[in-house]
Amino acid sequence: MSLWVDKYRPNSLAKLDYHKEQATQLKNLVQCGDFPHLLVYGPSGAGKKTRIMCLLRELYGAGVEKLRIEHQTIVAPSKKKIEINTIASNYHLEVNPSDAGNQDRVVIQELIKTVAQSQQIQSSTQREFKVVLLTEVDRLTKDAQHALRRTMEKYMATCRLILCCNSTSKVIGPIRSRCLAIRVPLPSTEEVCSVLSTVCKKEGLLLPPELAKQICEKSGRNLRKALLMCEACRVQQYPFSADQDVPETDWEVYLRETANAIVSQQSPQRLLEVRARLYELLTHCIPPEIIMKGLVTELLNNCDGHLKTEVAHMAAYYEHRLQLGNKAIYHLEAFTAKFMAIYKKFMEDGLDAMMF
Amino acid sequence: MNKLSLGDKTASSGLNRWVDPSFTDLPVENFSVSGRKKPCPFSGFKPEPKRPRKRKGETTGSDSHSHFLLKDSVQDECDEPWVDKHAPRSQAELAVHKKKIEEVENWMRVHTNTSKGGILLLTGPSGSGKTATVQVLSQELGLRVQEWTNPTGLELYSCSHQEWAVNGYSSQSTQFQEFLLRANKYNCLQMSGDGRASDRKLILVEDFPNLFFRQPSSLHNILRHFVKTRRCPLVFIVSDSLSGDSSSRSLFPRDVQEELDITNISFNPVAPTTMIKVLTRISALEAAKSCGRMCVPDQALLESLGSGSSGDIRSAINSLQFSSHPDSSLEKGLWRMKKDRGGGTQTSQGKTLSRKTQKKKKSKQMKEQEEEQAIGGKDASLFLFRALGKILHCKRQSHEEAEGADGASGPGLPPHLSEHHRQALLVDPELVVERSHMSGEFFNLYLHQNYMDFFSEVEDVVRASEYLSDADLLTADWTSRSVMWDYGSSVATRGLLHSNSQQVTVGFRPLHKPNWLQVNKKHRENCQAAASLFRSFCLTPISLQTELLPYLAKLTNPMRNQAQIAFIQDVGQLSLRRFPGRLKLEALTDKDPGQLLLDSEEEQEKKKKEEEEEGQGASEDGLLPSQPQPTANQVLLEDDDLNIEEYDSD
Repeated sequence: MSLWVDKYRPNSLAKLDYHKEQATQLKNLVQCGDFPHLLVYGPSGAGKKTRIMCLLRELYGAGVEKLRIEHQTIVAPSKKKIEINTIASNYHLEVNPSDAGNQDRVVIQELIKTVAQSQQIQSSTQREFKVVLLTEVDRLTKDAQHALRRTMEKYMATCRLILCCNSTSKVIGPIRSRCLAIRVPLPSTEEVCSVLSTVCKKEGLLLPPELAKQICEKSGRNLRKALLMCEACRVQQYPFSADQDVPETDWEVYLRETANAIVSQQSPQRLLEVRARLYELLTHCIPPEIIMKGLVTELLNNCDGHLKTEVAHMAAYYEHRLQLGNKAIYHLEAFTAKFMAIYKKFMEDGLDAMMF
Repeated sequence: MNKLSLGDKTASSGLNRWVDPSFTDLPVENFSVSGRKKPCPFSGFKPEPKRPRKRKGETTGSDSHSHFLLKDSVQDECDEPWVDKHAPRSQAELAVHKKKIEEVENWMRVHTNTSKGGILLLTGPSGSGKTATVQVLSQELGLRVQEWTNPTGLELYSCSHQEWAVNGYSSQSTQFQEFLLRANKYNCLQMSGDGRASDRKLILVEDFPNLFFRQPSSLHNILRHFVKTRRCPLVFIVSDSLSGDSSSRSLFPRDVQEELDITNISFNPVAPTTMIKVLTRISALEAAKSCGRMCVPDQALLESLGSGSSGDIRSAINSLQFSSHPDSSLEKGLWRMKKDRGGGTQTSQGKTLSRKTQKKKKSKQMKEQEEEQAIGGKDASLFLFRALGKILHCKRQSHEEAEGADGASGPGLPPHLSEHHRQALLVDPELVVERSHMSGEFFNLYLHQNYMDFFSEVEDVVRASEYLSDADLLTADWTSRSVMWDYGSSVATRGLLHSNSQQVTVGFRPLHKPNWLQVNKKHRENCQAAASLFRSFCLTPISLQTELLPYLAKLTNPMRNQAQIAFIQDVGQLSLRRFPGRLKLEALTDKDPGQLLLDSEEEQEKKKKEEEEEGQGASEDGLLPSQPQPTANQVLLEDDDLNIEEYDSD
């Protein structure tokens, strides 16, 4: 039994649940038989990948859905072997080049070259180009992005690129201008609710609209998360009740408790405890950036309006350092300490004001 | 110390004698000894079988000793190293702490009386008196010391090829094994001249066959064999150096130590007071003997020698001998320099000298900071524990001292910066980091792990943590990292020192090893494992780790294999206990060298590789290319049915 997210994923442009206008546009784009390089961007859980797969199916037919996972080894000029996993069908190749870390430039060039150099045998029945789908383009190094720009032009005849990322701000200008940018926004609350209730109906379950709305809020309109939540609700309790608790992930709860611990006491000992909790989160595969973001959100909920700008400013400052630096814990801890100091000062000032 | 160093010296001084004409009046037999290694021209003469030289304990040593003493002229006496001449002959003369001697003695008593030998491992920095202790004790206990020395392969090349074949070449390790076997099994032949025929003996191994350094496992195998048949105690002596590779850890890893029931006694560097006592004794003896022909070193020189050798008594005695050698032009120059320098420090200390209480402490500090060491001095080094303590405890001048120095140090800070005023530091942070023999990066990690205990105010912690963050930022760029490391550690150490404004004396605090490396490693491993186990979901790492895995842990969705289930339970779920117990704090002990970390890094690399290999293996097993993927947009009902069947068959 697969997850609801996968089970009820629409597989053709016509079946998409929301942004239908965009779906028609995509259909028109494909119908003329060719399309430019695409840059699909939008927040996580908005349905970028789904849309791309639908597009490919529209283009190549059901053959696209026969996927295989391939393990490729690429030898860099420095004789270093880079191993990378790709997902491929006969018509397309999906790869996440940022898996290769600093060597992503080599991966991109080599992979696209191999794909582009092999011609389609039956060009009469098929398209004359293959598609390479690159995910997480915004995590590519600048080096790799520049390499990509040349590669895009060179193999235009036999290969189209679909780039997929969360934000275009980290994609260099030349690439943006070479692609047709398609933004996939998050679905609206109503759309999420309707998708949830459709899925539940298909499962033979009855979802109260209040719960659907609650799930939607908790998930931040991230459809993947919403569906996972919904499924977790099902496991937790059925029949659904309108006011049941939507299960959150453990790490979110844990992070909230951490934030509460920071707010409740400001001392070096507490900071030490917080450090241990941060380590715990890190060992559970939560990336430092996410920890930072979650922590700030929780802390902002807890503190007074006067402090919010300052806290946000500090968060941005340390988040930047986190990105530049080597060891995340230094910066996470420095931020926590800074918050403690700001908050403590604020509380003390408030206390003084009350006294006099 | 006596035994071994004498042995070494016959060889090494043999070399010298070829060069130095002043040794012409040496006994002839010494030449024959050193000449043993020369190719022998007589075909009939069979080279001595390459059996390891077995020394007969103290007897030979003291024999040759007395031999020298009786026969040699005063001049010869001068030439003999004082290290050998004044080697300790009784427990009282040993420059080792009494408790340590007792410990070793107890072990020896226990393991020789029961006739069921054991294995003892003595570790410690060079010149801390390990060998001397064993020699003295075995003499007192009436034990015969049989020592292994690596056979030199020189004879082999000299003999003809046939002979070679006849003799049969056996590797050093085989010979070592044979030696252990024989020394263990058979008693020495009772020579007629041998007065004290004691059958109790002790095998001493200080010189390891080279092979063992590369393949410690072969040593372990031999030892396992030995342990089964052991009859007499076996003592290993391994010098560990602070900066170099610690061979004791590779030769005797902890699990092997436990398995073979090896007792480990580690020696400390010789304490300065003991050192000075020994040096004073030796110099007094020598001065008396030389009847004023020798320049007697004064107390200050002895002290500087003592501190300069950083606990290595052998080097201290050597440099004492060197410095008190008469009519050496070089030495005079050194003396003068020494005196000048002494004068210089005197004047700078002049103000404080009057205060008796502070004087001692202060001069000690000064000595530690002294850049150039005395003649033959070793580079002083600090154990990590002490190095960290120096930074974290943040010793500054007290107020009275500062008042005295204030006049010279110029105007103070302007009023608006007065909160940043600190008294002068008593330590030089850069020097501390340098002497800890660690890279600045690791040193910072250690500091980061431990600094919180030493701060009482959140405001101070803020500044300290910001400096640490700065230090990390400085070394972020890999192209400039090698240059910036020093600056990074400087920023971190000085930042910590400066931001510790309260200066509370916290007393003893245990120090811990940094968790970060462990955490980071775990993070990476888990991410990799997640990527390889859940590849079929085709998700980006972030959404996989933050969305899918945590929810999978909450779902009763049947997983495809055991590994996935185990992983989800481990990673997807977070215990919501208040204080996580997963991270064990590993206390940093007194003697832990920083080297441990580097090893753990290597291990980390190794583990990573293994992990990768495993991951690949698993993925290839788990996902055949022909297998349809669950994510491949299969909504059609018949596809779904098909899928279910497939899962069942799984």
